[in-house]
Amino acid sequence: MKAGSVISKTAISMAEKQLKIFSDSTKGVTSAVLLSSDGFEVAALQVDKKSASRLAAMGSSLAAISSAIAKEAGISECSRLIVESDEGVVAVMKIPNLEPPMALAVVANDASLLGQLLWGAKTCCEELSKKLGNQS
Amino acid sequence: MTDGEFKIIFTGPMGAGKTTAITALSDQECVSTDVVNTDLEQCDKELTTAALDYGHIDIPGASGVRLYGTPGQERFRFMWPILANNAAGVIVLLNGQHPDLDEHLSTFVDAFWEGGSMPMVIGVGRLSDDDFFTVDAITEALVERNINPPVLSVDVRRKDDVLLLVEALLCQIEVNELGLAEA
Repeated sequence: MKAGSVISKTAISMAEKQLKIFSDSTKGVTSAVLLSSDGFEVAALQVDKKSASRLAAMGSSLAAISSAIAKEAGISECSRLIVESDEGVVAVMKIPNLEPPMALAVVANDASLLGQLLWGAKTCCEELSKKLGNQS
Repeated sequence: MTDGEFKIIFTGPMGAGKTTAITALSDQECVSTDVVNTDLEQCDKELTTAALDYGHIDIPGASGVRLYGTPGQERFRFMWPILANNAAGVIVLLNGQHPDLDEHLSTFVDAFWEGGSMPMVIGVGRLSDDDFFTVDAITEALVERNINPPVLSVDVRRKDDVLLLVEALLCQIEVNELGLAEA
């Protein structure tokens, strides 16, 4: 695949629209990247190409470490990772049932409400799963 | 890190055999962060390391060696200094048949050599039996840069070959520590 090379332009455009819907309806979201599990950006919102690439690579590493820790702890598969600071939140969530596997990385500022952010991100992941799943 | 334990790093480009080497050596089940590889253009393999590999060699009654593997792709470069922090030495694994071998050598030596303060060993894999040239060429390229880590031909699937790399690195670490003590 190498990022978007196998995913159709229509699917990428659909993913970008979904990220926009999520951002518009969720307080504090500053950027979001849909990424492949091996760290390529597939679609991005409110972030330049270089930053999207870096966020995709870091999101993929974090998701992989989270999965390894979950496995080590015997708590099955990690579905979500949250990094919190005084100034904001980074959340990385796996998109269910996609091949190749993908995740959503979201950055939000301190105006965000964690519960609302996670709910919105989860809904976005479910929509992406439905829409991109239909494309493959 | 407990007293007498070494942390060593396996690094090198994608497909050089870092995960295979650590798996071959580790006395414990390795921690893996393998994910589906979608970049088949760069390397035609099913899985790739997205964050790190971790294994451990137990040395009864004495110490142990912690084995950390880095991801090989440039986009995961941010992981390299994180993993190299407090490392006693680095093993750079290279694919001897790769057309970008020289570039890979420069990239990983430059990233980890730390001006000579980091003990290093270079392992070159996938060489044919009659290839007597590549190891010498790499050694010469390093000498031209005033860098002289040992360069060895290895098959990372063979535990003895990987152990040889680790032993060579432990010698380098010892020499380095002696040098520091005398300075």
